[in-house]
Amino acid sequence: MTCRSEPGRLGGRALILAGLAALAPLPALGHAALLQAEAAQAIRLHATYDTGEPMAEAQVIIYAPDNPAQPWSRGTTDAEGRYLFAPDPGLPGRWTVQVRQAGHGAVANVEVGPDGGDAPVLSVTGGGMETGPLQRAVMVALVVWGALGTALYFRRRRAGDASA
Amino acid sequence: MHLPDGLVPVGLAAAGYAGSAALLGLSFQRIARLPDPGAAMPRAAMLTAVFFAVSSMAVPVPPTTVHPMLAGLMGVLLGWFAVPAILVGLFLQAVLFGHGGLTTLGLNGLILAPAALICWAAWRVLAPRAPTLAAVVAGSGGVVLSLAVFVAFVLIGLPAEVDAAAERAALGVFVAAHLPLVLAEGVLVAVVLRVLARVEPGLLPRG
Repeated sequence: MTCRSEPGRLGGRALILAGLAALAPLPALGHAALLQAEAAQAIRLHATYDTGEPMAEAQVIIYAPDNPAQPWSRGTTDAEGRYLFAPDPGLPGRWTVQVRQAGHGAVANVEVGPDGGDAPVLSVTGGGMETGPLQRAVMVALVVWGALGTALYFRRRRAGDASA
Repeated sequence: MHLPDGLVPVGLAAAGYAGSAALLGLSFQRIARLPDPGAAMPRAAMLTAVFFAVSSMAVPVPPTTVHPMLAGLMGVLLGWFAVPAILVGLFLQAVLFGHGGLTTLGLNGLILAPAALICWAAWRVLAPRAPTLAAVVAGSGGVVLSLAVFVAFVLIGLPAEVDAAAERAALGVFVAAHLPLVLAEGVLVAVVLRVLARVEPGLLPRG
């Protein structure tokens, strides 16, 4: 509104000049990349089937502690079943990570400690148990032994019934 | 081939338990009606062990691995006993190996047990006319039916946040990897029945 007055026109010119001055570096701004790097604590996932085979290209779904219904982030594991993510330290609590493929998968929990102090620790729980070949063999043998016992028990009882 | 804990909606898992419980109740009722319910117990116990051990073995079929399901074999050899045998085997696998899950035990039972019963029925119809064909149909049919139910459960229980297209593609690969198993289990049932007929005819199921 003050444009028409003499000092106003001056002010207008100054404004245009200031505008041009502001525009001049714009093309340069478009090409200048700014990179901010900061160190963060990350969780490295390695998803495998219990045969040791990697879960390649499996879907990763990450839930933050403040919203267990909506995924915080999603991704896909690489060919070796690996995936890396950095939980937000501003959201302490239990993070849930789900890795799934064709109806199979596992869930792991990542505990993010409160920000600051000297104990912002990440600890991982869950993610399925690992069994060695010996452990497997022993467990299978025990179950077979139990079944054999059951079978013999009923067989003997039948034999007893027959002789009685 | 087992649905694990944590990936299936709670409602679906509960429905699975209800379905498996109903099936178990029905099978107990039918078993109690048998003239000598204890007679088949030794065989049921041994086949539970076979099911537990064999279906824990992974067979590599690139790009994935499959494990035998034995629904057809269990159905043909055990009849109604297949339902408790499968549920006990699945329970032990879940507890000892973490294979499958306790919350999904009901669903996993519904993947295998109805398939076993249907194969048994089909085998009983076909066996008098063509014993080998009947055995192959039962063994192969068990795998096909179990796969169909598994895929149906995964698709029903797919949460919205999962990339459905990727999951469907992965399921396609998974089903394709099981096609050799369809053939293998058909042959397995035929061979087992033939060996039993020769070695121990008393163990043969009554068709």
